[in-house]
Amino acid sequence: MTHATITPTPQSAVGATSHLTTSDNGFFDKFGGKYVAEIIRRPLDDLEAAFNKYIHDPEFLEELRIIQRDYIGRETPLYFAPTATELLGGAQIYIKLEGLANTGAHKINNAIGQCLLAKKMGKTRIIAETGAGQHGLATAAACAKLGLECVVYMGEVDVRRQQPNVATMEMYGAKVVPVTSGARTLKDAVNEAMRDWATNFKNTHYVLGSALGPAPFPDIVRTFQSIIGEEVKRQAAERNIDIAAVVACVGGGSNSIGVFTPFIEDKNVRLIGAEAGGIGPNKGENAARMTGNASREGILQGYKSRFLIDEDGQSLPTRSISAGLDYMGIGPQLAALGESGRVEFTAILDKEALEAVKFFARNEGILFALESAHAGAAAMKIAKELPKDKALVINMSGRGDKDIFITSPVFRPEKWKEFLKAELKRLENNEDIHDAEIMTRK
Amino acid sequence: MNLMSHLIAGFPDAETSIAIADALVKGGANILEIQLAFSDPSADGPAIQTASTIALDKGYSTKQGLEIVRKIHERHPETPIYIMTYGSLAFTPGIENFVKMCKDAGVSACIIPDLPFDGDEGLTEACKKHGLENIPVAAPSMTKKRLEMMASKGFKYIYAALRAGTTGSETTIDQATLDFIDTVGKGGAKVLGGFGIRNGEQSKVLSKHVYAVVAGSVFVNIVLNNADTAEGRAKAIAEIEAKAKEIAGK
Repeated sequence: MTHATITPTPQSAVGATSHLTTSDNGFFDKFGGKYVAEIIRRPLDDLEAAFNKYIHDPEFLEELRIIQRDYIGRETPLYFAPTATELLGGAQIYIKLEGLANTGAHKINNAIGQCLLAKKMGKTRIIAETGAGQHGLATAAACAKLGLECVVYMGEVDVRRQQPNVATMEMYGAKVVPVTSGARTLKDAVNEAMRDWATNFKNTHYVLGSALGPAPFPDIVRTFQSIIGEEVKRQAAERNIDIAAVVACVGGGSNSIGVFTPFIEDKNVRLIGAEAGGIGPNKGENAARMTGNASREGILQGYKSRFLIDEDGQSLPTRSISAGLDYMGIGPQLAALGESGRVEFTAILDKEALEAVKFFARNEGILFALESAHAGAAAMKIAKELPKDKALVINMSGRGDKDIFITSPVFRPEKWKEFLKAELKRLENNEDIHDAEIMTRK
Repeated sequence: MNLMSHLIAGFPDAETSIAIADALVKGGANILEIQLAFSDPSADGPAIQTASTIALDKGYSTKQGLEIVRKIHERHPETPIYIMTYGSLAFTPGIENFVKMCKDAGVSACIIPDLPFDGDEGLTEACKKHGLENIPVAAPSMTKKRLEMMASKGFKYIYAALRAGTTGSETTIDQATLDFIDTVGKGGAKVLGGFGIRNGEQSKVLSKHVYAVVAGSVFVNIVLNNADTAEGRAKAIAEIEAKAKEIAGK
C-alpha cells in the first residue's frame, strides 16, 4: 500500500488522507497505477518498500532537512511583487521564488530526496530523464554532492535547445546521453531510462523527475516537492497573508502538485494549473492535456492519465517553447484533481509566456524560466478577478538564466546573432577571451 | 521443436511483412508473434523500437496492422498468430473492442506486457469471452511470490523473458534460468521461452525446457540491415528463412 502522508520537514503538516491527496494503492480515483512489464516491477516494488520505510525514519528526515537548509537553500522566499500588483490591478501578487533554490529550480527538492533514498538502498548509480534539463541538472548536482555515478537521458531535440544545462550537467560529472529514438524529446528519454533501469536495477536507481510514471513515483515526487506548499502556507500564516489562489505551471506536474498539496483540502483557495498552449489549439500545436481537444484517457509510460494520443493510442507530437512543459502526459493525481474540479486548468500560449518573462523581469527584477512564465501569464490574466485584499501566489518553479538561448533571439535578435558569430569566430581562431576583448576595444 | 518467431506488421512495409511471415513459416516457425507497432515500446530494445518507428512513419494504424495479420492468417490458417503490443493500443479503443478486432483478424492470443496479470483492465476476461488466450510475460527478476501467483492463475501459456533486461541481447542458459522456467510452468502453463535467441545452438538447448522457443529481434535485425532497397528486402527474406531453419533445427 502506498500511503505516503508525511512530508519530510519537521514543520510540515501531516497530509490529509483523501484519495486526491495521496494515492490509494497507487491510484488517484481512476488515474495512476503500475502499468509496467514485469521486468520493471521488482525495482518499483523495492522502491516503494524503501520509501515507505525511510519516510518515517527520523534519521533520514533529519539528514534531508539539513541538506534542504544548507545545500538547497531552503526556505525559499515568498516575495511580494508591488509593481506587478499595481499594474495588474487586482489581488496582491506574491511570488514563491523556487528559482532561488540551488541549481535554479524546484527539481532539486525531489532529486536530493530520491538520491538520498537511493543511497540508503545501497544503490551506487543514478539514472534520470530530463526535458528542459532542470531535473537532469538537479540530479547531476545531487549525485556530485552525494558521491553517486550519474547518467542523464535527454532527447536529442532538447539537448540542442537546452545546451547550457547540458554543459552544466557535464561540469557536475554526469554523463548526458542524447536519445535519438522516437520523437527525441522528454517521453523518449523516459523510455530509454526505463530500459536502462530494467537491465541495471541491482545497483541503479531511476530518479524520475515528475509526479508521474508508475506507482510509487507520483507519491514519492509529491512528497519531496510538498515542501514548497508547506513553506508557502507557513510564510503566509506568519505574515497574515490571505491566499485566494495559487497558480503553477504544469508539465508532468511536480512543482504544481508540490505547491498545491497543502491547499487541496482548503476549498477557499483556488488552485490553477497553467499548461503549455504552444502556438494554438490544434493537434501537434501544444501540450494541453486538460484543456486541449486532442487529449484523451490512456495508459502510457506505466500510468493511466490524460494524454495527447491518437484514436489508436499512439503518442502525438507536442509543442511548446518551454522544453519542460513539452510532454504528452500529466501526473495522475493532477488529472484526478482536474476532473474533480478541484484544480482549474488554463492553456498559455508561447507568446503569452514570453510576455510574462518580460513583464516580471522589467517590473520586479525577477527572471522567470519559460516553464514558470506560463504560471506568471496565467496570474496576469486572473489577478483582476480576485479581490485586492487577497493574495495570488505564483510558484516561480525556476529561474530563466537557462533560457537565454531561446529568449535572446526573440527579444534582441540582432545583438544575439552578432554575439554568437563573434564567439564562434573567436573559438575557431583559438583566441583567448582577453585578447578578443582588446581587439574589440581597438 | 516449437518455434514462435516474431515480426512487426507493416515493417518495413505491408507487402514485405507478409513475405517475412511466409519465410518464417517456411523456415519452421509454427507460431507467429506479430507485433503491432507502438510509439513508446519501453519493454523492447532499440531494434524493435527502430522498426516500429519505421512502420508508424508509414502510417500503419491498428486497423491496417490487423489487416496485414488477417492476410497472413489467410495464407497460413494452420499457424496460430499471437498479437504482441502495448496497453495503450488495447486500452484506447476499449479492451473488449480491441480483443474483438484481433479475433476478427484471426488472432488466437494477446501478449501485452504492460497490462499486468493482476491489473489487466479486463484483458483476460475479454480474451476468454472471445475465445482468445491472454499470455502474460514473466521476468526472472520477479519475486518468487509474485511469480508463483502468476503461475497459479490458470493461464494456458506464459511467456518467459529469459533475461533481466529488454529484448535484443545474448542469452545464457544457466541453472538460474532453468529454475525460473520450472517455476513459470509450475501451475501447468505451457512456457514460451525467449529474449535474445541468436542461433540454433541456443534454441536447441532451450527447446528441451520449454513448450516453444521464442526468437524475435534476430529476425528484425536482418530486415533492419537490408530494408532500404528491393534487392535488400529480397535478400532479407531469404536470410530470414535460413535463420528460422537454423533456429528451428531443420
